[in-house]
Amino acid sequence: MLYDRAGPAAGTGRRRRVAARTRLDFWFDAVLLLGYTLAYSYGFTGIAIHEWLGIGLGLALLLHLTLHWDWVIRETGKLLRPRGHDKLIWAVNLALLVAMTLCVASGIVISRVALPQVGIYTLGGPFWERLHVLSAEVTLGLVPVHVALRWRWIVRVGRRLLTRRSAGSAGRPG
Amino acid sequence: MRFLRHLGAATAAAAIVVALGLAWAHFGAQTLAPGPQIRFKQEIVTMPPGSRQPHGTVAAGHGMRGGGIRVGPNGLTVIRARPFDLGLGSMFDPVNLPILRHTVVIEAGVIAVVVALDVLRRRSRRSWRAAQLAAETYRPDDEP
Repeated sequence: MLYDRAGPAAGTGRRRRVAARTRLDFWFDAVLLLGYTLAYSYGFTGIAIHEWLGIGLGLALLLHLTLHWDWVIRETGKLLRPRGHDKLIWAVNLALLVAMTLCVASGIVISRVALPQVGIYTLGGPFWERLHVLSAEVTLGLVPVHVALRWRWIVRVGRRLLTRRSAGSAGRPG
Repeated sequence: MRFLRHLGAATAAAAIVVALGLAWAHFGAQTLAPGPQIRFKQEIVTMPPGSRQPHGTVAAGHGMRGGGIRVGPNGLTVIRARPFDLGLGSMFDPVNLPILRHTVVIEAGVIAVVVALDVLRRRSRRSWRAAQLAAETYRPDDEP
């Protein structure tokens, strides 16, 4: 359920508010997308920010997966049912999980700034460097697909959130 | 408690992928075709006339016109003369904005294609359903 009623008054006013969990999902995912875009643009951020951002993204992705674990269980259970769209989303999400995890893990292994700054020195090697580049390129293709497959939800929730905000600020005195 | 259970499951899923990556590195590292290591293509940025060269970049060589800035083999990241360069000088340098724009353009392009395909798919399915419905409700006897 994406939305809930805003108490008894909402029944008469027919005004629905966005559930706290939906708000969290929307803004957290927006920050994740922004963070990923910045992290991928290595030449723009510089290596130090790239590496710290990548480590932060790894933790954030773990949280993202945790928040949507119910979906993972539900859709995995439905895999044998004859319906195409959710299977495609499931496959894209699985590929993204693999690519993103390998990207973050290989990035940690070849870290030149972030981990040495905290006294951790990794071995690295050409395999991990190639894996990092390859998985980063795969994620660049999959992240927008992952976002776009939910574009209706994004438009619906985004419109509701932004409309609420502008309505709230218009109603404020001063 | 439920959150912790889900966090554990998500961590386990990520750990399985990391373990697969380690196994790949151990048993089949040579299967990953050798290619360019972390290197970004050389790009040329034309600066507006009269603008100052960003700190840490090198000036254009022969064959460049219009006050361009040629950046070394690591792309638009700052090139410094120091032996151990952490690349800290390139942080949010405006000259490196094309890299960010490049990423955004790719993401926006893929999103646009997927959304367009989804819209087309839904539209065709809706028209197919409408045609099915019309075929079901059509009765030759109803004709005058």
